[in-house]
Amino acid sequence: MKVLIVEDERKTADYLRQGLTEQGCTVDLAFDGIDGQHLAVHHDYDVIVLDGMLPGLDGFELLRSLRAVKNTPVIMLTARDGVEDRVRGLREGADDYLVKPFSFVELYARLQALNRRGRAQEATLLRVGDLSIDLIARRATRDGQRLDLTAKEFALVALLARRQGEILSKTTIAELVWDMHFDSNTNVVEVAIKRLRAKIDAPFAKPLLHTIRGMGYVLEEREGA
Amino acid sequence: MKPESLSLRLALMFSVAALVGFIGIGLVLREVLHRELTRQQQDQVQARMVDMRYLLERGRADDLAERAKLKIETLASTGRVRYWMWSADPVWRLGAEAEELAKQADGRTRQKMVGGVPMAVAAVSLDATPVRKPMVLIVGVTSDPFDQTTSRFERLLLPIVLGGALVVAALGYWIARVGLKPVLRLSSEARRIGPTARRQRLSEAALPVELAQMGKSFNAALDRLEGAYVQLESFNADVAHELRTPLANLIGQTQVALSRERSAPELRELLHTNLEELERLRAIVADMLFLARAEQGERAAQAVPRSLAAELIKTVDFYEVLLDEAGLSVQIEGDAQAVIEPALIHRAMSNLLQNAIQHAPSGSTLMARVQAVEGLAEISVSNALAQVIPADQLARLFDRFYRGDASRANSENNHGLGLAIVKAVALMHGGSVFARCEQGQITVGFTVPTIG
Repeated sequence: MKVLIVEDERKTADYLRQGLTEQGCTVDLAFDGIDGQHLAVHHDYDVIVLDGMLPGLDGFELLRSLRAVKNTPVIMLTARDGVEDRVRGLREGADDYLVKPFSFVELYARLQALNRRGRAQEATLLRVGDLSIDLIARRATRDGQRLDLTAKEFALVALLARRQGEILSKTTIAELVWDMHFDSNTNVVEVAIKRLRAKIDAPFAKPLLHTIRGMGYVLEEREGA
Repeated sequence: MKPESLSLRLALMFSVAALVGFIGIGLVLREVLHRELTRQQQDQVQARMVDMRYLLERGRADDLAERAKLKIETLASTGRVRYWMWSADPVWRLGAEAEELAKQADGRTRQKMVGGVPMAVAAVSLDATPVRKPMVLIVGVTSDPFDQTTSRFERLLLPIVLGGALVVAALGYWIARVGLKPVLRLSSEARRIGPTARRQRLSEAALPVELAQMGKSFNAALDRLEGAYVQLESFNADVAHELRTPLANLIGQTQVALSRERSAPELRELLHTNLEELERLRAIVADMLFLARAEQGERAAQAVPRSLAAELIKTVDFYEVLLDEAGLSVQIEGDAQAVIEPALIHRAMSNLLQNAIQHAPSGSTLMARVQAVEGLAEISVSNALAQVIPADQLARLFDRFYRGDASRANSENNHGLGLAIVKAVALMHGGSVFARCEQGQITVGFTVPTIG
């Protein structure tokens, strides 16, 4: 994934570059609106991470001028938690937004979601190690054994399998499985994961569902685990 | 333009009023005086007339004409009184202007110019007597002394009026100063009120009626400000307190970890725990910002008409695993339509459920209700509760960082903002919050306006 980060805060820009590079992305940085606009218009990126407040050229203006020529997906970072900024960003053509302070996992998940958008139809049979999930029959099996999952548990494991290898935060999971769009501080997701783990991992030798403390959960087959 | 002193303004207005009043009185007095003097002058004319007439009508002497003229000479010697006589008989004629003056011989007194001198003149015709032919007797009294009196009065009037106005101005200034003393006192009292003495109030009892209302309004405004001030202060203290614990943990853990060589797994563990603390800080800050926005008057922006029961069912669904873990069941009742921002309403409902789950005894049933009451939809969650919560504590449930029962609070997932957020969400939808405790059940909820 080729990503452009337009952010004047050096520390933020640097850790974002490091984090995204380590996730396998190619990252370009711009520290002001003018450079950002130049790069965004003259190069092709999969996703652009755009700060709202920028020296030289405001993030919103950059977005407007970019939208005149290109449809590169853009995720806006807004410092203020005001509805106005959000609405403005989305109206100017941003595809998503994040309010600072945001977590890196959240940003990465959203970048991937934007990158995925418009790709070919997803597979209907997902496999993670010896776990297979049939999205059409709504059936999950592991090592040939049918797993007895509730509807929500199935939705949860399907989400994790669809985005395997990707850390999903609790907020993202609550959004995508339960359609709860708020930063909840409940341990619903923790408990749901615990229950899911009891069904898909506990009876088997090799765990697939991993907790990344403070960040979220990932479903993947790990070597030697 | 700088506003003038109130006392000076009042003094000026007093003196203008006094000036107008004095001038009016002066004019009236002058008129009265003038009339009175004219009347006196005319009385004098009549009196002289009677005197002379007596002689002319009763006199039977042959040389009556000579006698009359002699008497006139004596009487007119002061120069203030003049006599004229006019008759067909030249013996009974006296004075140059007599013929002219005799034309109005009706006995009435008139003001006239005679030979360039202003006079009061009366003429009367006398019938013939055995010793004389019919004639006209004319008496005149000069206006001079009377006019002098009038003009002297006028000369005196001007300084009296001006002086009086000045005296009134001075008095008015003094009265204003004395009269406005309560205002000065009020301002000096107000001057003493500040951040360090914000309990200070204007003493309403000592104020005159006219100022009491103002004092009352001012004190009420101070009360409101003090309330906001106190809330802000305690809010700052609360925030500092809430952030202190995670910060202290972060610093302590990091110092301990750095005090000696650590293996990579140990350092990873440290970073994990640090991250958890930082997440907690982030959550608190995000919630605080949310509350601040609601308090600044932000309203739900992306509101859509929805069934509240449907949203409640969805939220309860989210809590299914937690309810199951806690051995609780939920009964959902009622419905109402309202224009809401679903994400916000989910958040409020979620916090109500979370609160109930934390406090309900295991094995009990929660009641989640939507009730339409007079244009408002009440969304509430009830749970059984062993103890009774007093009313004053019920009201405080929605305060920030208020924890009814500190020992039971789950500090991991609950930083004491849950119900404050419910209140904020209600506010953003133009609703309010309520809490009731009756028959072993505590009901906590919020309202939003319904459709129609």
